[in-house]
Amino acid sequence: MSQENPTSAGGPIEWTENPAECDALSELLEHRMSRRRFLFIGAATVATVTLANLIPDTLFQAEVAAYEGVKIGSIQDLALAQPQEFRYPWDDANCISYLIKLGVPAGGGVGPDKDIVAFNAICPHMGFPLLGQFKSEHQVMGPCPSHLSTYDLTRHGMVVAGHATEGLPQVMLETRGDDIYAVGVMGLIYGFSNNEAAPV
Amino acid sequence: MTNDYVPQDKIPLPPPDAEVRTTACDYCIVGCGYRVFTWPVGKEGGPRADQNALGMDMPTRTFQGWISPNQHNVTLIDGKRHHVVVQPDPNATVVNRQGNHSIRGGTLALKVYNPDGPTRDRLQSPLLRVNGELTPVSWDTALDIMARVSRHVIDTYGEAAWAMKTFSYQYFENTYAISKLAFRSIVTPAYSPHDKPGPGADTAGLDDSGINPFSASYEDWSEADVIFLSGTDPFESKTIVFTEWMMKGNTDKKLIFALPRRTTGVAWAEQHGGILLQLIPGSDTVLQLAIARIILENGWEDSEFIGKWVANAWEIDAGMGRGTRNTPWQWRTTWGKLGSGIEEYREWLFEQPHAELDRAAEITGVPADLIVRAAEMLAKPVDGVRPKASFGLEKGNYWSNNYGNTASFAALALICGAGNRPGQVVSRLGGHQRGWIGAASYPIDKSPNRLPGRRRQEIDLDRWVESGNVRFAWVIGTTWINAMAASHELHDTFHRMTRRNEHQLTTTDVDQAAATLIARADSGGMVVAVQDIYLQSPIGDELADIVLPASTWGENDFARCNGERRLRLYSKFNDPPGDSRPDWWIIAQFARKMGFEGYDWQDSNQVFEEAARSSRGGVLDYFPLVRYAQSQGRRAHDVLRDMGTTGIQTPVRMVNGELVGTKRLHDSTLELGTPEGPTVHRKWLTHFHTHSGKAVLNKSPWEWFSDFYERITPTGDELWMTNGRINELWQSAYDDSRKPYITQRWPDNYVEIHPNDAEPRGIESGDEVIMESDDILVQTGGFTIVKGDEFLFSKMEENGLIRSGKGHSKAVAIVTDAVRPGLLFTNFIYSPGWPETESNSLIHRVPDPITNRYRFKLGKAKIRKTGESPYKDSFESMTFKSRNII
Repeated sequence: MSQENPTSAGGPIEWTENPAECDALSELLEHRMSRRRFLFIGAATVATVTLANLIPDTLFQAEVAAYEGVKIGSIQDLALAQPQEFRYPWDDANCISYLIKLGVPAGGGVGPDKDIVAFNAICPHMGFPLLGQFKSEHQVMGPCPSHLSTYDLTRHGMVVAGHATEGLPQVMLETRGDDIYAVGVMGLIYGFSNNEAAPV
Repeated sequence: MTNDYVPQDKIPLPPPDAEVRTTACDYCIVGCGYRVFTWPVGKEGGPRADQNALGMDMPTRTFQGWISPNQHNVTLIDGKRHHVVVQPDPNATVVNRQGNHSIRGGTLALKVYNPDGPTRDRLQSPLLRVNGELTPVSWDTALDIMARVSRHVIDTYGEAAWAMKTFSYQYFENTYAISKLAFRSIVTPAYSPHDKPGPGADTAGLDDSGINPFSASYEDWSEADVIFLSGTDPFESKTIVFTEWMMKGNTDKKLIFALPRRTTGVAWAEQHGGILLQLIPGSDTVLQLAIARIILENGWEDSEFIGKWVANAWEIDAGMGRGTRNTPWQWRTTWGKLGSGIEEYREWLFEQPHAELDRAAEITGVPADLIVRAAEMLAKPVDGVRPKASFGLEKGNYWSNNYGNTASFAALALICGAGNRPGQVVSRLGGHQRGWIGAASYPIDKSPNRLPGRRRQEIDLDRWVESGNVRFAWVIGTTWINAMAASHELHDTFHRMTRRNEHQLTTTDVDQAAATLIARADSGGMVVAVQDIYLQSPIGDELADIVLPASTWGENDFARCNGERRLRLYSKFNDPPGDSRPDWWIIAQFARKMGFEGYDWQDSNQVFEEAARSSRGGVLDYFPLVRYAQSQGRRAHDVLRDMGTTGIQTPVRMVNGELVGTKRLHDSTLELGTPEGPTVHRKWLTHFHTHSGKAVLNKSPWEWFSDFYERITPTGDELWMTNGRINELWQSAYDDSRKPYITQRWPDNYVEIHPNDAEPRGIESGDEVIMESDDILVQTGGFTIVKGDEFLFSKMEENGLIRSGKGHSKAVAIVTDAVRPGLLFTNFIYSPGWPETESNSLIHRVPDPITNRYRFKLGKAKIRKTGESPYKDSFESMTFKSRNII
């Protein structure tokens, strides 16, 4: 399967879904992992193996469609607490995301200090943009100006206080040398019924 | 199958032909409007507007409405698997406009019964504890045994030995049936609602001032210039009142919080010109009196309002106030001695040493300048214009010094001119929804409780049980023990009277089982029947002899009101699990077996229509709606269904042949005209709820409380331990513990502790701690008090009516300066961890002598670290980030 997936960061990308590869991977993962370990289902590619290795001791599990990586930044160019905006996985207003170096280790964090994370920036409560709402001293996103939901970016976007019925979707990252790649999204992006389905 | 949280990145959309119904939230008082989509598994809608029942292209945009993964579940309808989506109604024009929602209601879908999900342990069959094991039996077997034991207990020991402990809120149909059985058919005084030791008013000081505690409309909180919020942060526990109404509307609005914690709502208020009066728990009366005193000293009171709307001494004493009748008001106010006109009230207030600013600042822990600032914000005219002040309170206020706090709260509000105008209201913000329709009055004449001067009082059921007077107890939809005070001590009593009794069932045979349980009752033991949706600890899984499976929200058509008296239909959309039945049906079957008449209802609508007669003339009056439905040849439930998530505010009236709601009570701006058809015009629609129609200022003697307060004030290494709700959790966590998304956030009990208290004890965020005390006070006996001052705590202690018990509660520590130093804040009831996470075991079981209400907010404990929780250094579960970042 091939589908156009334009992003502002890297132009059109493609991903492949090979059922055989997917099944084999799932079996491998299930065999290796306790059920509480990271679980990748869906459009899994070779990249997911790398992804799983990024969080070797996690107790968290999630269904994440993993896409072929899109370069969204570099470790060297990413300053502490200076969010860089990008769109992922679609070039859509709801897909505005931030790449952030938190300065403290985080769940799903990459880089030498495991402190580089990326999150979707649309509040999953009612879809209000969280632009400019990163609080670096607390490593939280929010509070949302609309109804005050706040999200812990060190803990996979978990609601700290507020109303959203899912955490802030986390853009899964991996590094290739100095480059930072977005490779998947954990959690349904506000407004979507399927992260993998192109916006109507 | 796992109960662990698995974030999803897709959800099935309802196809265009999906069934859609409206309902309202099952949880907090606000009762937000929701819509429910159901469709068979195997079908799915598409992302284009013409492919789904939302009629929306995906992705939807800000405020357009969306279905998140936790708003979807799979359930059974007619025995077949169906998708179910429970979505905040994006078309709502009232309450949760545009589909605003809390995290609690937003995840309602997760409470729905799914045979393959975390809700799979719903009770599905009646159970009998045979040889120690809960064993499935038929409805007839369970109810026959209950009826035989009940008949024996009532005939042998009287009605007061037959007790009920039930929710007061879980839909009109059920509470009507419960009250019909308890108060009309059996006529027992041994009844108490879920959250208190006996029936009666929660905020008696408001009632006695002529103010209905749910008189306001949500719009009023939006229109006010300043709101005094006492004992609650609505952001946390009635979220939409805060985010949809208080945060919106009048943009110059200022909030004054009287709370011991700097919560999210407080932080927002401070950012918007509001203030926090971070008081020591239990000192509200002093704070409120001090503010009132400053207002009166400066002449900032609303004299025009007081002159027109507050009763003078003559109007009270001459029988024109509440009148010298034999009513709860007289019993509480020692035959009217507290009521006073403004001059007498001023004189009394100025004589109270604790109401002087410096003394008040010392007692309350609130800086004097902030007390003055609060008085200015509430009442000081700006350019000759008075601020529109409204007053909201909740349990932090009235679950401590119940009478004193609520009476002084009402008096402060009245002095500021609040109570009967748009944007100038006095109300509770509420806990549970208003779901009680009493089929008959509580038989107070049979209550064992008596105050001096032959004043009557409702029963203290916990004390009644501990005194060995209850032989049969029927518990419906509450944990009873966990929810009451000194709960470990109460549990010991229950355990002794049930499990440690020698008479235990060995067979499901009705004759033999009834004989065994009757022998239990005759030996001084107690038989316990529990009716619920899950098997709760310890009342269900340990103490119950008989368990009855109830069906609930979504499984039957039900109705009730929210915190602005808004009546809605809560539509049925799925099958009740197994053999579970609605509470009204179970009551009816039992009543018929007892030989009582009037329990022949065929469906919940019939109960609803019958109950309307009991609502007539009351605050929740919907009788005109039923009459209107009958005139149209329709069922009342169906007429209400047509009103969707908007519903109608009670009391319902008929105007020009149309049903009309009532926005606020005591509304001086409301023009009523002549009552039409079944409409009842009570005076309190446009006036205060007194004979004169004027409100009453009631004194609030500090000395009725101060001896108890001094006795329980922490000493040495002890800290205050107070409790409450947090946004993400509802009630005892009975549903939340089955919502993986929520348990990821709150996998365990928690306690907030100030850094000043944590550091010397070596406690860090994420540590496991235990709170404990062997000085938890329990009142014993003393049902009838004859001499004047013997109801005071110090006299009861002198007379040997107070003993000390033990309690403890484990939690994960959260070190935060959001709590004031010297104070611990923990969950109010976190049942998943019973008995180890039971903070109510650290609450004194000595009710307010005037109102028979527990001081749930005034516990104390020593706290120490016992280890580190798995969440301390994990990224996956729980977070210790500050909740008040603004």
